Amino acid sequence: MTKIFHYINFALIFLFLVGICILEEVIVSGSLKAVQNDVLAIEQVLQEKDALLDSEIIIMVDNLEYTWAKNESKMCYMVNHKSIQEIGVEIARLKGCIVIDNIDDFRISLEHLSLYCHSYLHFMGASIHNVL
Amino acid sequence: MVTIVLRAIIIYLIVLLIFRIMGKRQIGQMQPFELVLTLIIADLATIPMAEVSVPVLHGIVPLFTLTILHFILTLISKSSTWFSKFISGKPVIVINPKGIDYKAIKMLNLSIDDILAALRNCGYFSIAQVQYAIMETNGKISVLPKAEFSPATNGDLETGAEDSFIPITLINEGKFMEENLKLAGVERSKLEEIIKSKGCKSYKDVLLFSVDQNGQAFLQCKKGEAQSFATSGVVQA
Repeated sequence: MTKIFHYINFALIFLFLVGICILEEVIVSGSLKAVQNDVLAIEQVLQEKDALLDSEIIIMVDNLEYTWAKNESKMCYMVNHKSIQEIGVEIARLKGCIVIDNIDDFRISLEHLSLYCHSYLHFMGASIHNVL
Repeated sequence: MVTIVLRAIIIYLIVLLIFRIMGKRQIGQMQPFELVLTLIIADLATIPMAEVSVPVLHGIVPLFTLTILHFILTLISKSSTWFSKFISGKPVIVINPKGIDYKAIKMLNLSIDDILAALRNCGYFSIAQVQYAIMETNGKISVLPKAEFSPATNGDLETGAEDSFIPITLINEGKFMEENLKLAGVERSKLEEIIKSKGCKSYKDVLLFSVDQNGQAFLQCKKGEAQSFATSGVVQA
């Protein structure tokens, strides 16, 4: 009986670990991909615009901020809080750039966001480079 | 600060759970891979406890991974002698009837002082008293003394001593041990009568009340001296 209980304990721990790995894939990848998609959409719209004071861009940045606010708390369970702080900072910078209509800094911030999401998704995956 | 307090509680409980699952071996009895595991667990547990920006899961996941790894290593060790020897090593004879095995001592990276200290810990102050000394895989030394230095047993002396049993504790610091009462086949009321007849006001005033298989009881009240008496068949362990 004790032995069976022992095996059940380990099976539960194993299932917990598998569950966490799946949850990380769903939550972190999902959140970062959502941010990445929003950023790509803003970049595409930005190619046709000369100024930031445009309702379409303002709405898209608001959407990005909303997406991030929705996912940030969930990501805090899985990712170092300092690591995800950068996304919030860059989104705040995007909003600041719209106010002063600074398209160059806006583009840099978008690039930062895109690069951050891309590199974190790469860093999160199980590969020989990441393991070693 | 509240976060740190809560995290400390969570991680403490998880580490406690892990050690309970892993077994009850004391540090001195650990195999090398168990010692390594314990050291890593101690280190891993402190990171999310003190660093608020690190999610608790970053501490829990490696802790649980190590628990699973320990479970697998233990399973393989039990089924494969070769693997067990590879992971834990094998016992080495450091002293044999010819004397100290210098090669073995060098291989184990021990000095003569280490061997002498270990022998003294076992109660042998001279190597001349020792027939065999074996360095176990957990780092302890087991000693087989020479016949003339080994302590005489009841069997050697043919004293006809009976097998001894562990006395059953019936009351511990004013609390009845219900399972032991059933085992001894005695009721609370009977026990309280005995206690009162021996000068204790109530069972709450009893520090320890135990009984052996012959019905010989040991009673000590919180205030007062210990008494040993026969329960004349009332209580049978």
